[in-house]
Amino acid sequence: MSQIKSTLKLLRRSPYQALAAALAMSLTFFVASIFVVLVIGGQLVLNYIEQRPQVIAFFKDDVTESKINEIIASVKSTGLARDVKYVSKEEALAIYRERNKDDPLLLESVSADFLPASIDISVRKAQDIEQITKVVKDRPEVERVITPENLVEQLVKWTKIIRLGGIIFVATLASVSFLIIIMVIGMRIAIRRDEVSIMSLVGATRWYISRPFFIEGALYGIVGSSIAVILVYAALLFYSPNIQEFLGPIQVFPVSPLFFVYLWAGEALVAAAVGIIGAAIALFRYLKIR
Amino acid sequence: MIQFEEVTKKYPNGQVALEDINLKIEDGEFVFIVGPSGAGKSTMLKLITREILPSFGKILFNDENILQFKEGKIPHLRRKIGTVFQDFKLLLNRTVFENVAVPLEVIGKKESDIEKEVSAVLEKVGLLDKAEYFPSQLSGGEVQRTAIARAIVSMPQTLLADEPTGDLDPKTAREVVNVLEKINHDDKTTIIMATHNAAIVNHFKKRVIVLEKGKIEKDEKEGKYESD
Repeated sequence: MSQIKSTLKLLRRSPYQALAAALAMSLTFFVASIFVVLVIGGQLVLNYIEQRPQVIAFFKDDVTESKINEIIASVKSTGLARDVKYVSKEEALAIYRERNKDDPLLLESVSADFLPASIDISVRKAQDIEQITKVVKDRPEVERVITPENLVEQLVKWTKIIRLGGIIFVATLASVSFLIIIMVIGMRIAIRRDEVSIMSLVGATRWYISRPFFIEGALYGIVGSSIAVILVYAALLFYSPNIQEFLGPIQVFPVSPLFFVYLWAGEALVAAAVGIIGAAIALFRYLKIR
Repeated sequence: MIQFEEVTKKYPNGQVALEDINLKIEDGEFVFIVGPSGAGKSTMLKLITREILPSFGKILFNDENILQFKEGKIPHLRRKIGTVFQDFKLLLNRTVFENVAVPLEVIGKKESDIEKEVSAVLEKVGLLDKAEYFPSQLSGGEVQRTAIARAIVSMPQTLLADEPTGDLDPKTAREVVNVLEKINHDDKTTIIMATHNAAIVNHFKKRVIVLEKGKIEKDEKEGKYESD
């Protein structure tokens, strides 16, 4: 009888303990998957926002081109801007016309003179918006500066909170799963005390006796993490229209199935390691071989 | 070859199970270790498999001091020694076949070889037709023969049998020892059987070592045993 077959036979004999261990693992990795998805989603939103012009500075009507170039140079010299784009009055009119092409009434009375020239600034890091804003705001040639308020700041803050909270929460759940695995495998060792003793007396090595328990620990991890990833995949699929509606123009769907393959592989690896280490501790603590 | 040199075993509760034992058992011998309960018979067998350690002395197996073995070498020693335990130590949730297969599984034999070798040994002990039975479905003699089959399936150099006729009726007990004698004769396996069954000992006319309160009282080539 192979070791895997013998492990599966043992699991069938006391399915409730096995179920408890696998469910604890599922819960841990379900929560972990949600946090991974949230953190990655948050990062995607942040990337989107960072790629858009986050600071728009509108100039007064009488500002000369050389002054504008001077301001652009001063923004670039901070090293914080990824891109600075000058939008002339004519270009502003073209954008306005494009945006309102379905509303002839709004187009009728507007000419380039009505619209101010501006510079659109994209920052390298969302945290630098405030500093860039200050650079342009202090210039007398600038009429008005528009920034996405503190949206980015809030987003950065929340991403950090989710990341930190996720780590703490998942670490707590992982510890609970770990203890459950030690307990379940400890119970199995106790149940198989006679068998262990007989095996040892007929010449089984410690490794031979321990192997099924390691396989069992790894199985709990792999089964638990697989259930978790399948649940998260299903949930994301189900709620994707709602999420996309909430995010508006930020395109995050469809999520590549490869992402879930990587997520599963990563989590299965970590979960199997948790199971194997749990088994090792249980064996060290409870397996007594004469 | 098994050799005890000035072996003493004292348990933590102060009880002296064996005291200053010196003996040598050659390969292929059939030896009865006899004596009343508590004489030290089981202790002697447990010392040979390194299930317990002596308090003093030296135990040699094939000229190697087994007390100096590192933990990793003990399973290899035990693979050379088959044991029939006093309480059988059969796995109740495994069939006769599966129980007998255990020593072969632990040495990593292929399933096809296990199938062949287990069937052959079950035939030898007359249990082939009971291969799929569980221990609870067997008679006392059959349980004992299953334990013997498990002990000899890996063709050990030495077979230790601790009271293998304990709860058996005289006829079944003799059948069990007949099986052991056949193994000794056919395979040249060294047999060391601990017993206090005088009728059996006297019938088979083998070497008899009499233990009394942990000491060797007699060691005779074709000995006899008179129990109280």
